[in-house]
Amino acid sequence: MPEQLNEILYQVAEEILESLAFMFPVLDEERKKIGNVFVCGASISFVGPFSGRLVMLASETILPDLVKNMLGLDTGEEVSLAQQHDALMELLSIVCGNALPAVAGEKAMFNLDVPKILSPEEYDALMKKQDPVSQITLELENGQTDFILFIEEGHLSLNRLPLA
Amino acid sequence: MAINLLIVDDSSVMRGMIVKALRMSGIDLGAIYQADNGKEGLERLDAHGIDLAIIDINMPVMNGEEMIDCMRNRPDTSQIPVIIISTEGSETRIEQFKKKGARFIHKPFTPERIRDVINELVGRQNA
Repeated sequence: MPEQLNEILYQVAEEILESLAFMFPVLDEERKKIGNVFVCGASISFVGPFSGRLVMLASETILPDLVKNMLGLDTGEEVSLAQQHDALMELLSIVCGNALPAVAGEKAMFNLDVPKILSPEEYDALMKKQDPVSQITLELENGQTDFILFIEEGHLSLNRLPLA
Repeated sequence: MAINLLIVDDSSVMRGMIVKALRMSGIDLGAIYQADNGKEGLERLDAHGIDLAIIDINMPVMNGEEMIDCMRNRPDTSQIPVIIISTEGSETRIEQFKKKGARFIHKPFTPERIRDVINELVGRQNA
């Protein structure tokens, strides 16, 4: 189950990073999870057949490029911290919205909360409270990003696997 | 004739992406108004002549579903075409939005997808 979940999460995150932000990740199982060293994180909660939250952590070095690629800005243009946080939350929301039906099937209904930036203290508290059911690290050109899935209520069952 | 559009999304980056996609789509664009949430969106509808609204679902203050319900209950806005652009992936939920007369575009989206849906809704072939 964890391997299948990781595979689904990886496929969804990869597709969205590529199509939305023109970033081409590779799965890096060897590299140390950046979850152990907090960089910049966001969290989105969901309620449905199973409930929980998805967390995205990202190296600060990728965030300006994330914004520029999403908005089609020139490389020299400045982007604000607010825009970087906004892009991180939006990307997380899209990955979550696409990953949940990939796990539970397209008829399953989930309500997604508004994403929020996660403080280091909130992240530490979350990791102490429970173990994630899935955690992947994606290597990018100038940094890396982790996606961490927590299930807080309900039974997670894999009803659909994405096409290879 | 150019289309006046309203984009309602709490993410300024996503609003920027939608504007970028619209400009790439070849649609004849008029004014593009923007709002952070459904409540602000309704205020923009009151203040401007808007031909089509592009609305996100998950927003603070007033979400997209509540905004669409308000629009459909008001004679002056009930006929304005609505496109929902959302991360929503459930077929069941998408059917619910269709019953409210809204078209649905899934995030991530392409300029071509936006163009096709707008052309269907406004009955024009601008591309």
